[in-house]
Amino acid sequence: MKRGWWLILLLALAIIAPHVISEFYLVILGEALIMSLFALSFNLLFGYMGQLSFGQAAFYGLGGYTVAMLITKLQFSFWLSILAGVGVASIMGLIVGYFCVRLKGIYFSILTLAFGQLIFVIIFKWHNFTGGDDGIQGVFPPGILKIPIVYYYFILVVFIISAFILWRIVNSPFGHTLKAMRENPERTEFLGIHIARYQLITFVIAAAFAGLAGALWAPFYRSVAPSYLTWIKSGEPVMAAILGGPSTFFGPVLGMFIMTFIHAYILGFTHFWPIIMGTIILIIIFVLPGGILEFAKVKIKERQERGKLTKGSS
Amino acid sequence: MFLQTQGITKEFGKLRAVNEVSLAIIKGDIHAIIGPNGAGKSTLFNLITGYHRSTSGKVLFKGEEITHLPAYTRCKLGVTRSFQITSIYPKLTVYESVLMALLSHRKETFNFFTSAKKFFKEEVWRILEDVGLADQANILGDSISHGDKKRLELAITLGTEPELLCLDEPTCGMSTEETDNIMSLINKLSTERGITILFTEHDMSVVFGIAKRISVLHQGTLIADGKPEEVRANEEVQKVYLGGTS
Repeated sequence: MKRGWWLILLLALAIIAPHVISEFYLVILGEALIMSLFALSFNLLFGYMGQLSFGQAAFYGLGGYTVAMLITKLQFSFWLSILAGVGVASIMGLIVGYFCVRLKGIYFSILTLAFGQLIFVIIFKWHNFTGGDDGIQGVFPPGILKIPIVYYYFILVVFIISAFILWRIVNSPFGHTLKAMRENPERTEFLGIHIARYQLITFVIAAAFAGLAGALWAPFYRSVAPSYLTWIKSGEPVMAAILGGPSTFFGPVLGMFIMTFIHAYILGFTHFWPIIMGTIILIIIFVLPGGILEFAKVKIKERQERGKLTKGSS
Repeated sequence: MFLQTQGITKEFGKLRAVNEVSLAIIKGDIHAIIGPNGAGKSTLFNLITGYHRSTSGKVLFKGEEITHLPAYTRCKLGVTRSFQITSIYPKLTVYESVLMALLSHRKETFNFFTSAKKFFKEEVWRILEDVGLADQANILGDSISHGDKKRLELAITLGTEPELLCLDEPTCGMSTEETDNIMSLINKLSTERGITILFTEHDMSVVFGIAKRISVLHQGTLIADGKPEEVRANEEVQKVYLGGTS
């Protein structure tokens, strides 16, 4: 029940925020929400399935590029373009995932990295189709969605629905199977579970939500660029998850908010952002190895148990 | 015939771990496979449950060939196993671990939207009570004692509601008291739930007390097969196995 109050409080903050903060920070807030959705999609693989993907940005980028190309070149409807973005990312997820789920650990990571870079290079080099390193500009959403604050609320709604769906998935029997596979794949296989099939489905779901995040971003920022597909972009959800706590559902969201806002703030007076980020990650790994939210969870639990003990003895 | 192997053979390079073993297991029996370390018990087990694929020979379950089926399909057909080195879920609770098996067996794992906690409460509790783990239901798998981990793995296998339960050294590393407990539990499962049980064991005293049929492996070859008294009377068995101990 306590958790419910936190969520309502955060939701209230998210609704009020645009009326309090400047337009600059409104864009940052929108970015943080989109990147959080991206991080949640990544953590389905990392935190729940137990495999580290280093190519998740490929699906994010594909979502963004699909929307950008459909809107600017074919004057497709905005809504259909978003759907198509999710669709393209999912189909690519199915193809890439088919090969990746056969591997485990570092080999899985390297193969996702390789596929990610492959998709990046195709988009980067195919100049007359994708615009190459120029990217695509002039990706406008329709009507009142052009107003940043309206688009922000649109992002918020999509984020909440997506987070809710993902939350239900990780707590469903399917999610339970994912956790069991992560804990002990052999035992789970000998309970009648075809591991690769479940991992492939998870991979496609993760790709779909990454694609949705990318599809939301392109019209918000009015453009796409090939850098959205690089391994550096793939590293962002990795860091966000480690920062916030991959074993908690909202850990990656917290991590992404911290990263996005510190980044925006620090760029105001220095370009040495990676140094700051590196230092933060270093501290987290050594001081709070499970991530911030996991640490908080453990502390709260300890406190409750201590409370119970003192109550029992008095 | 319930489960049958026909001339099943497994070679690892030049080593013949299991050599043309033909074995029949009768429905409802408690069937023990005995033999000294390295006799090929675990390998034979792995061939039956799908962990290894045989070099030659066949495995039949209820008259159907399962030789080439993957482990998860065999499990769905009703063949479940435990492992010699206890295989449990370290970071799932005892309750959640058994729930996993039930979700899999009752085909609910492709449900993406209902809370997993709502499923099969009665069934999970019944299994936990049967194996004596109900009071530890909310403890993580790696926080319980060694003997209880063995029980937990047994509870997990029960979750798949098996017809044939294969237990690889179910008393491995247990004290005499724990061993007795597990053996009477196995007996109870066999009589109350009607599960056919196949298990490997190297301790003779344990086997003769409970098994209805015994198969003896020596260097990968089946040297005796039958009722306990027949096996005990078998000269070859006495020579290669019992000779030293009794």
